[in-house]
Amino acid sequence: MAKVQSFMRSLTQGRQLVIGVPYLWFAILTAIPLLIVLKISLSEMEATSVSDMIDWTNGWPTVKLNFASYLFLSSDTLYFQTYLSSLKYAVITTVICLAIGYPFAYFMARSPKHLQPMLLMMIMLPFWTSFLLRIYAWKTLLVSNGVINNVLLSLGIIKSPLLMMNNSFSLLVGMVYSYLPFMILPLYANLSKLDLRYLEAAADLGTSPFKAFWLITVPLSKAGIIAGSMLVFIPAVGEYVIPELLGGPDTLMIGRVLWDEFFSNNDWPMASSVAVVMILLILLPMALFNKYQAEQSEVKV
Amino acid sequence: MIKLFSRSWMIAVYIFLYLPIVTLVVFSFNNSSLVTVWSHASLRWYTVLANDADLIAAVGLSLKIAFLSALMSVFFGTFTAFALNRYRRFRGRTLLASMASTPLVMPDVIVGLSLLLMLVSMQHWLGFPERGLFTILLGHALLGTAYATVVVTSRLREMDGKLDEAAMDLGCQPFQVFRLVTLPLLVPALVSAFLLTFTLSFDDVVLSSFLSGPGYSTLPMVVFSRARLGLNPTINAVATVTITVVTIAVVASSFYQSHMERKRKRDIALAYSDKNQ
Amino acid sequence: MATGPKVANTREDLLRVEGLTKIYDGAVKAVDNVSLTVATGEIFALLGGSGCGKSTLLRMLAGFETPTKGKIFLADEDITNLPPYKRPINMMFQSYALFPHLSVWENIAFGLRRDHVPNDQIKERVESMLSLVQLGKYAQRKPHQLSGGQQQRVALARSLAKRPKLLLLDEPLGALDKKLRETTQLELVNIIEEVGVTCVLVTHDQEEAMTMASRIAVMSEGYFLQVGAPDEVYEMPNSRQVADFIGNVNMFDGVVEVDEPDHVTVRCDECVHYVGHGISGNKGMSVGVALRPEKILLSKERPQGEFNWCEGEVVEIVYFGDHTTYHLKLPNGKVIKAQEINNTRDLSCGLTWGDRAYARWNDLAMVVVTQ
Repeated sequence: MAKVQSFMRSLTQGRQLVIGVPYLWFAILTAIPLLIVLKISLSEMEATSVSDMIDWTNGWPTVKLNFASYLFLSSDTLYFQTYLSSLKYAVITTVICLAIGYPFAYFMARSPKHLQPMLLMMIMLPFWTSFLLRIYAWKTLLVSNGVINNVLLSLGIIKSPLLMMNNSFSLLVGMVYSYLPFMILPLYANLSKLDLRYLEAAADLGTSPFKAFWLITVPLSKAGIIAGSMLVFIPAVGEYVIPELLGGPDTLMIGRVLWDEFFSNNDWPMASSVAVVMILLILLPMALFNKYQAEQSEVKV
Repeated sequence: MIKLFSRSWMIAVYIFLYLPIVTLVVFSFNNSSLVTVWSHASLRWYTVLANDADLIAAVGLSLKIAFLSALMSVFFGTFTAFALNRYRRFRGRTLLASMASTPLVMPDVIVGLSLLLMLVSMQHWLGFPERGLFTILLGHALLGTAYATVVVTSRLREMDGKLDEAAMDLGCQPFQVFRLVTLPLLVPALVSAFLLTFTLSFDDVVLSSFLSGPGYSTLPMVVFSRARLGLNPTINAVATVTITVVTIAVVASSFYQSHMERKRKRDIALAYSDKNQ
Repeated sequence: MATGPKVANTREDLLRVEGLTKIYDGAVKAVDNVSLTVATGEIFALLGGSGCGKSTLLRMLAGFETPTKGKIFLADEDITNLPPYKRPINMMFQSYALFPHLSVWENIAFGLRRDHVPNDQIKERVESMLSLVQLGKYAQRKPHQLSGGQQQRVALARSLAKRPKLLLLDEPLGALDKKLRETTQLELVNIIEEVGVTCVLVTHDQEEAMTMASRIAVMSEGYFLQVGAPDEVYEMPNSRQVADFIGNVNMFDGVVEVDEPDHVTVRCDECVHYVGHGISGNKGMSVGVALRPEKILLSKERPQGEFNWCEGEVVEIVYFGDHTTYHLKLPNGKVIKAQEINNTRDLSCGLTWGDRAYARWNDLAMVVVTQ
């Protein structure tokens, strides 16, 4: 029996270690930092540091909650507009990615089997090269004296340079460009698994190919559409680098506001409260997505 | 007709994806100091790059951080994947799972800000760590752990749990099972997790900007600060070098993979051709 | 129970299971108070449909599941709480679970290495195992370079290499196609008998259980319905469920009319059964009469006497090659099946769809099951 007990002990010790290590790691690096952000968002800036939430001056601790940042956030319409415009750009990016990516993934899934790995690799390859450098490349293409304008001017197609830079056009090009693979990959994974016999059955029952596409292929790829849209939408909302490099003064994005509050204005409580609201903004679609997934798995059971 | 349409659609998308990359590479061989106006081919910007001490120091720092953070990511990611997949029910499993996916869904700016604020309060109470290499490393390792967890998890899921039982049945103690069966079978997943997290770290600009201290600039930070100011031909040269390295690595690894796949198929064919057994 | 003398009758019983119970999530009884003994050298089959608890029982024997209640003894030693790697029991897994990263040789040597057997002995043992399963020339191949049948034999060799006291087989032939099964079945039994190892095997395939096992336990919903030799379970099922589960059966419901020590009669709606032996029941009791299709003879002529026949219409003829099954619709609407051996090349009986036919059977053909 002693052997058994020592075995059980070593097993639970191993188990505690395997669970404990990642727990500690993530608690220190995600949970606690997010709580600190929440705490600081409820403080105010005092000269160079943040006010303490717990005040000891009376000899006993009193908790001071300061909603100044949140009040300012809700009173200044600029912030509200920025949130709205972040959502707007994220939604537009998602829709464009879907419009380009769905036909692409569909055609890719229908192309000859031996070509598909190569086509797939060519979608992934840009992903392995630096994101920053690829965004920078768009800058060289889109500026007024950039490559595209130079080519069009020298061909005589346009008389004066097109304004394609530092506006919503350049921002959307950059966002669609960066996130398109995230839309294509789940869609392709889904569409390539689609059993072609469904379409044959539909044709056999007298459905035209176009109708069969809408009645069968699209509904069956719903999971891929949703997954792809989430993968595009969520990072797009909080994007900082693309608006910074390709956006202009009119393309408000919340990531940039947070950055500026922190690095330019040095206002930590403000940056923190912007972050807290941003988290709430992302949690909503996440919750909807999780609910959808839970429902799906229930249906399967 | 449909075929023509689908072909041109695919070609258009590939052009869209590769146009910026090709432009970067082509104009890196441009002699003009105007990035977008072609004069004639030269290696001028490569010599400038070779003498740019800032950039070269940044490359060194980035490589160092990417290597170390990838190691840490794979280590902690394996732990996390095991905790989440091999111990199905424990208290706080949902909490661990959501903490592990937080860096994946939260924008970089939030991850960077929250980590920085945590490190600042830690420094306030404990006196360490100074901002610099270690803090950047921590941020990258956090992000990498989240990704490595996903990669290792997907491998663990498709691994036959019966193999662990078979090992135990033949006399393996729990840790021996891990060392002799699970780990060797995980190696391909660990390698791809390492490559992925290495790339993520080498590419990151937002977390590094939040977490670095004076004197610690990673390559993306340098590139970013120069790109913000305007166009700079040395960036094209940097881009070309990294693109070349990455392309060779990716193409080589995919060739290796397809070679292994063909070998496996041959082996299977061999097995079933033995009709004498 | 555990207080019984430890010396007597120990040479025969290798495995003894007492009141074993496994409850999942505090509610689902996967295994319900099962007791059994397996003698040395026996091949014991656990037979049942999916979810009957046979796999859970096997996994408790191997040590992968902890019993909620009950004890497991191996050679009179209590192994209930021993971890799997300390039990002198080895298992051949369903779909084999061969280590994909190790060669055939290393797969077989795996268990021996864990016991720190000296290298020269490992070599000797592995080679004898390889020759036992006739895979000598495949020693250096990886599992995926082998066909299904070869993999199965590697799995067997691996589980025998440590010379376990008890060998567990989990659906040993489940992953093979039908043709290969028959030859492999016999081969497997031959090897097991050659080695002389005691076996507990789990299967959902009654044919597999019948051909391989010396005793079968029919399991359902966590407990044993019947335990016995294959012919016993087939010819003398103790309940409707067993009769139904093993092979095809025609069930008649009826009431005992005459209850004598040497015979009984059972009046059913369709006919009157005259059973040529006594049963443990009494007059007026409702019973079921189980009659296997192959024990029924069909003819166009009306049989003599008043017992053990009925009349019906042929509604379906299913040709299997070696035999043909006729579906006979009785006047009350019940359909019974009768199997005729095709021992000549012209189709026997001369019956066709819609014919009137008489089914008859002798007085030892059926089994009376009390509910």
